[in-house]
This record gives sequence, structure tokens and C-alpha cells, in this order.
Amino acid sequence: MERHDAEQLLGRLLGPAGPEVGCETCFDQLDRYVELELAGADPDAVIPGLRAHLDGCPACREEHESLRAFVAGA
Amino acid sequence: MSTVTLPAIAPVDSLPITPAPGDAPTLSTASLDEESREWLRALRADGSERDAAVARLHALLVRAARFEVGRRRQALRHIRGDELDDIALEAADDALMSVLRRLDDFRGASRFTTWVYKFALLEAAVKLRKRAWQEREVPLEPETWNLFASAALEPGREAEQNELLREVQQAIGDVLTPHQRRVLLALAVDGVPIDVLADHLETTRGALYKTLHDARRKLRRHLDECGYALDDLEAH
Repeated sequence: MERHDAEQLLGRLLGPAGPEVGCETCFDQLDRYVELELAGADPDAVIPGLRAHLDGCPACREEHESLRAFVAGA
Repeated sequence: MSTVTLPAIAPVDSLPITPAPGDAPTLSTASLDEESREWLRALRADGSERDAAVARLHALLVRAARFEVGRRRQALRHIRGDELDDIALEAADDALMSVLRRLDDFRGASRFTTWVYKFALLEAAVKLRKRAWQEREVPLEPETWNLFASAALEPGREAEQNELLREVQQAIGDVLTPHQRRVLLALAVDGVPIDVLADHLETTRGALYKTLHDARRKLRRHLDECGYALDDLEAH
């Protein structure tokens, strides 16, 4: 079993506090979210619950980080 | 201990998302930027023009998939470079199929290229997670599990976090179904990637996340009823 910081472990067990979208909606909206972020807009006002999902889903969080980094450098 | 009210968790995927400009029942390509419009036109053309557009699209997807491999190369250094490049090419091929199949789903909420990149990055990330776990056992329903064995407690917060961990551990055993418990422990404690677990349990990533979400909501509700304050917890 991997060792985790206790607070991080509790965070992973309990997930985000606020409302969140699921993985499918996250994927559907991810390109729009990233472009809003890179444009300096407020993506969380337009796509509520996606940030919370990124906090709670490591796989979607990785894909968000990759898309953002790739588009920013493309 | 003060009683707190936790924010309500909405059912997954029920949040009101502001429609994108192209979210009309029938997409007018006039609302797209020029480059995206040209991509759609060429990919819907016939013959050599379409072939050339597909080849250009494939090249973009290969570049995105190789970018994903590059980001993970350090963690995958036990895998040969040519195998990693094969994974990138396979991811690009699969992404190409997905993009062409879902071309009518593109609503112009982003540039076309941003929309297609996410398919390649997703395909590459999923394949690389699965490859990284190929030789590892997926832990499911351990005979004994102990959150305290997995946590490195900081001295200053030890008592407070010990108490919360003890309550969470008890609740995992008491309020979750066996399936919820199995999924929560595998994903949140053992760090099994969700795609790997989905394959192992013959389900989908979306269905597994719904199970995880429901388990977390049950735990939060239980802790709320017990009077625990959780607002300052980081989710990851």
C-alpha cells in the first residue's frame, strides 16, 4: 500500500465538497474550458462543476493539464 | 465539536452549463472560426482532398500523442522508447477514428484543433496508464485494510486527523456497499488508475466515477451527521 499524507488521503477519500460534473461531461467540455482558461476568461462561471471534477478525478485532471500545456505551446 | 452543513453534491452531470455559440440543434458552420470551418469542409470533401485532410489531421494527432508520451516518459523509463512510440502511434490512430466518427459532434465551442487534440491526449494517457499497470496486480477487496497504515501523519495535526480517519474508516465499513468500498479503496487508497480498474471490473470510467462519487457523498453525509467540519480539505 502506498503511503499518503493524511490530509491528502482524506481528500481523495471524500472528494470535492461542491457539485461536480462526471467524466463524460468533463471530456465533452474540456476543450472549451481550456480555451477559456488560456484566454483569461472565467471558465468556472461558464462550465460549473468541471473544476470540482478535476479536483476529484486524477485521470481527468491529468488530461486537463496535458491539453492545457499542449495548446498553450502549440 | 461544532455541527457544520456540507455543501450539497449535485447528481453527476446535472449542472447547468452555459451553451456554446454553436450549440444549436443544427450547427451553422458560419459561427466557426475560419480554420475550423476549413477543417470541416476538407474532411467532408471527397477523394484526394479528404485523404489529404485526414493525413494532416493524423499528423496533428501523432504530435499530440507523442507530447503525452513525453510528459510521462520519466515515470515510464522501464518501457523501451520504441514501444512508447508505438503506443503514441496507436493512440493517434484510435483518436483519428474517434474524431472522424464524431465529426458531427463538433459544435465549435473551441477551435477544431483543440477539440481533436483532446482525443489524442486521452487515448495516449489511457494506453500509458494501462501499460504502466500491465505487470502490477490490481488490489481488490483486501482481507484487511487500514487507512492508518497508508497515512503519514504530521505531528501537529495527528490527533485531529486520527479522529477523522478513524471515523472515515468506520464509515467505509458501515455505510458503503461492498462495490462502493472496493472502488473507493482501489482508486483513493491504492491509487489504481480509473481506466485500469474499469477494464478489470469490465465497466466504464464514467460508471466507476459515479460509484466513487456516490461513495464519497455517503461518507460526507455520514461525517456531517457526526458533526465533522470538512470544508478545508483539499480534494486531491
